[in-house]
Amino acid sequence: MTIQDFRNILPLLIIAAASVLLLVLIAARRNHRLACWLAGLALAGAFATSLFPSGTMPQAVGGLLAIDGFSLFYSALLSAAGLVVVLLSYPYLQPLREQMEEYYVLILLAVLGAVILAASRHFASFFLGLELLSASLYALIGYLVKSRDRSVEAGVKYLILAAASAAFLLFGMALVYFETGVLGFSDIGVHLAQAGALSPLAIAGFGLIIVGIGFKLALVPFHMWAADVYEGAPAPVSALVATVSKGGVVALLLRFYNEAGGYQFPSLTLLFALFAAASMLGGNLLALLQDNVKRILAYSSIAHLGYLAVAFLAGGKMGAGAATFYLVAYFVTILGAFGIVAHLSSGEEEAERVSDYRALFWRRPWAAAAFTAMLLSLAGIPLTAGFMGKFYIAAAGVEGGLWALLFILVASSVIGLYYYLRIVVAMFSQAEEQKPVKLRLFSGAGLILALLVVALVWLGISPQAMMGWINQWVAG
Amino acid sequence: MEAVFYLSSLIAITATALAITRLHAVHALLFLIVSLLALAILFFVIGAPFAAALEVIIYAGAIMVLFVFAIMMLNLGKQAMEWERRLLSPRIWVLPAILTLVLFAELAYLIAIRRGGAWSEFEPVLPAEVGALLFGPYLLGVEMAAFLLMAGLVGAYHIGRREKKQLHRYLKEEEQ
Repeated sequence: MTIQDFRNILPLLIIAAASVLLLVLIAARRNHRLACWLAGLALAGAFATSLFPSGTMPQAVGGLLAIDGFSLFYSALLSAAGLVVVLLSYPYLQPLREQMEEYYVLILLAVLGAVILAASRHFASFFLGLELLSASLYALIGYLVKSRDRSVEAGVKYLILAAASAAFLLFGMALVYFETGVLGFSDIGVHLAQAGALSPLAIAGFGLIIVGIGFKLALVPFHMWAADVYEGAPAPVSALVATVSKGGVVALLLRFYNEAGGYQFPSLTLLFALFAAASMLGGNLLALLQDNVKRILAYSSIAHLGYLAVAFLAGGKMGAGAATFYLVAYFVTILGAFGIVAHLSSGEEEAERVSDYRALFWRRPWAAAAFTAMLLSLAGIPLTAGFMGKFYIAAAGVEGGLWALLFILVASSVIGLYYYLRIVVAMFSQAEEQKPVKLRLFSGAGLILALLVVALVWLGISPQAMMGWINQWVAG
Repeated sequence: MEAVFYLSSLIAITATALAITRLHAVHALLFLIVSLLALAILFFVIGAPFAAALEVIIYAGAIMVLFVFAIMMLNLGKQAMEWERRLLSPRIWVLPAILTLVLFAELAYLIAIRRGGAWSEFEPVLPAEVGALLFGPYLLGVEMAAFLLMAGLVGAYHIGRREKKQLHRYLKEEEQ
């Protein structure tokens, strides 16, 4: 490790150091506000140092990590999402009677794991990053031990299933290592290119790795945990699971497939195409039956990862760009949607039933307007980020000739409209009794939500700027 | 050499299958220890003596400590004596003991043929080489593992934390 290496991994160092500092601080004096500030500052610092790197790029750090435009863009995106989650968490957790400081340590560690995933170019860092992310999430999902009944149940469910999927992943890595004798992604690519075709063992290995990744992304045959975990976890943690956890794994998948040359092998592509189709249809159809907003968002995020898989399958520069843009749009939208749920939840009661949102517009007009914008973006209505995201995916899909998947994408989006609009209709329906209108404009969480709405409309109206950055950083 | 490998594999699989199907926690733990010892022999045979030693010291050793803790914490009370007596019945310990004896015989065989020449067809990886790798190219990996442990520790501390009055739940029951 040279000084240059340390400068290259500065975002990682900032988050890691802050988590240790926060632990020391907890030992000295517990203070919820201070813990929140420290975590927020660290994530903002990681965001800034990712956008303005001080090292020379691209650079491999110790064989495990690659610091290039791609990993820095994703590290900025993941840190920003972590920052939003921290800021949403403070007002959400404040009224609860729990020890809150460890929560921020775990959030920092989860973001650290995701950033490691985005930068990893080796099976060792892949597995360690993924486990760091999972281990933090187990505790975060079950964090409200005393206030919520289902919290621990959701945490244990995630723990058992994630541990099983990690076993699949490890076995897959072992088989690939057995076949190739190397652990670095690019070395595997070189080896596979020489071998020409995949042996049955290598196919089994890649298949098992895809199972592990599919679990994290909640693609359809491996999606069983999603709804229960999203429902049982505190709303800001659901947002973290939906964004940071999935974003890190998507970044890893893009790099792994590119460097290991996964696109050359039709058997792997077919497997992913099946998962993508099943996720788009399954996510949207299952959401129709739900009456719980958090469960609806869980199924919706399954469907969105299915859309994203289409862009991923299209491959090439355009596919990576479209997948990244879609991920940015999805981050803004799903953070906003869970932000509203967290904002409306009061202490012990989570605002999660659709009936809780009935006539919301007449009680909390700003919150209802913001939630409507988020839901329309999730549905992919024009002028929102979600629409532009789908547009770029369609363009990449046409380029890659994925007609069957594009047809499923369009058809399932139409199905999806129904359950998004059901919540919107509930919010705008007339109230039975008139309750006093609350107009709280400048609360902290309100400001974050307003910024997210602005970002959503900005991405929807003029996506060129963001797409330009993505092309420059990710594809370039 | 190959016979030792396959025999140990067979023992590892059998013991693991038995461990996950036993109804009695302590009984299952015994088989788990046998399975870990069989894995240690496997590592030894394929030329990783350091990993084999770690398997015995950390896994089998730590599991033994867990075993003791489980008995201490779950069986405070009046049934403890009778329960311990039942633990010592041959039905529980004979099979794990036989499997362990087979493993021991394998180890003795490996050490015996060591006198004649190499004990493995593979070049053994010695602790110094493992250490050089861990503190060389995999240094960042070690740091990541440290943070992984920290996340697990902080999480376990928070989830497992109890209010003071609940701490003596077992003691209270006994007083009544």
